[in-house]
Amino acid sequence: MKNFALSLENVEKYFPATASGWRAFVQPVSQLTIPALRGISFEVKPGEVLAMVGANGAGKSTLLRILTTLLIPTRGRAQVCGFDVARDPAKVRLQIGYHTGGDACFYSRLTARENLLLFAGLNNLSVAEASRRIAELTEPFGLGDLLDRQVRALSTGNIHRLGLARAMLHRPSVLILDEPTRSLDPLAAAEFRRFLLQEIVGGHGTTMIFASHTLAEVEQLAGKIAILDGGRLLACDTLAGIKDAATAGTLEESLEILTRRAPREIQ
Amino acid sequence: MKRSPQLMLTLRKLALLFLRDFAVARSYRAAFAVEMFQALFGSASFYFLSRFVESPALERSLPPGANYFSFALVGIAFFDYLSVALTTFDGSLEEARQNGTLENLLVTQTSLPVILAGSSLYPFVLMSLRTAIYIGWGAILFGFPLRGANWLGALLVLGASVLAFSGLGILSASYLLIFKRGNPVNWVILGLSSVVGGMMYPISVLPVWLQRVARFVPVTYSLEGMRGAILGHAATRELLPSIAVLIAFAAFLLPVSFAIFSWALRRTKVTGTLTHF
Repeated sequence: MKNFALSLENVEKYFPATASGWRAFVQPVSQLTIPALRGISFEVKPGEVLAMVGANGAGKSTLLRILTTLLIPTRGRAQVCGFDVARDPAKVRLQIGYHTGGDACFYSRLTARENLLLFAGLNNLSVAEASRRIAELTEPFGLGDLLDRQVRALSTGNIHRLGLARAMLHRPSVLILDEPTRSLDPLAAAEFRRFLLQEIVGGHGTTMIFASHTLAEVEQLAGKIAILDGGRLLACDTLAGIKDAATAGTLEESLEILTRRAPREIQ
Repeated sequence: MKRSPQLMLTLRKLALLFLRDFAVARSYRAAFAVEMFQALFGSASFYFLSRFVESPALERSLPPGANYFSFALVGIAFFDYLSVALTTFDGSLEEARQNGTLENLLVTQTSLPVILAGSSLYPFVLMSLRTAIYIGWGAILFGFPLRGANWLGALLVLGASVLAFSGLGILSASYLLIFKRGNPVNWVILGLSSVVGGMMYPISVLPVWLQRVARFVPVTYSLEGMRGAILGHAATRELLPSIAVLIAFAAFLLPVSFAIFSWALRRTKVTGTLTHF
């Protein structure tokens, strides 16, 4: 297991049914009956890039949140660099960098530098280490002019760069991105992808797992693709492997064919 | 990466979170000036209220050395510590949820209890500053008696009070984690404490059964100790009974509230509602 950056064995996640009125008071202790993930198993080797694709509600974000220790799996085992997310969450958090596609994830009245120093400190970096690391990331992440501006004055694209820089501050082994280009315009998204390819995928050998609805992005960045549908893993292979399995010419066709074949148990 | 010893690391994180809140507050400079004047108006209101209600009968019910103005000013100023303790933990949780930083904070190497403790420092420091300004205005303009006060004793009472109140605050945050809104923990504790705790009147004016209830409320001991130290010029050893009861409250409330908070936190990770509003 220790040879894999990510390893999932029969991971299942159930949530309680939504309740209103007086029933809402017992919801926190009610039974977990709504399936979000069922029997998910796959491995990702160090340095690999895995993309997760699937419709809304397929379970992509749930899976990412399990890997970031924000959720506890109902059954099964998920490990990051050999550490179990449920039993060793602190050790898992030491290995990961996490960035979501939202642009409201910083203290907007603080400068970019103040935000980075804060999160670096919360990740156990001393002020000297954090300053050195920020200086290292400034050029590749294009942060030079932005560092001493309040975050509320930055564009969405720049906030994303800053988010990625924050995720990379403590040199994580695994980078976890949830729809990283969700709120970017097409040009900014293309630039961000180029940036990911050059600085993260190409440069550092960091393992990356990301969820995306943009198939071009998936094809451009990922070495391996996991297709989720209704909480089940339909396929996890290279682009060529997925096309072969679906006997399709493109990823889009493969997605259509594989999800049409899958039993629609979970809605 | 070099690792500092755990305690130093935690203290540094607490300082970082304090500095974060300070830097955010500093970016709203006008708010602080407004608060200074708000304290002036509050202090003035109590002074004129005291001139209206003061009577020989009232004087006899007050602790030795106190007039109604100083009695009420200490009551209101230090009662606010209870309000801060009850609102600061769930307030910081709510704020992090709303500004989208909660998930990013939770994936760092810092546990949620440390994040909440660090986020409560600035409100407590600000509360202390506000209390000092209240009392300062009272002393400069309305004759609040500062001479002879046992400030060391007052600090000890304050420290023990903050620990006891924080236990209640963590219970309140646990409720917010699980149920998200409409926190009855705050409502019950603040309501009960304001009636029986002796904020605006001595508890001796309450019916006997309510005086008994008051003995189960930490703010009663906090205000007794504080008034004893500041207005009654009590020596530190005379304050020890109040301090001991407050520490006993803290010794009970802190572990219980941390256990409940840990359960609530784990439960929200199971139910998937950790970052829900």
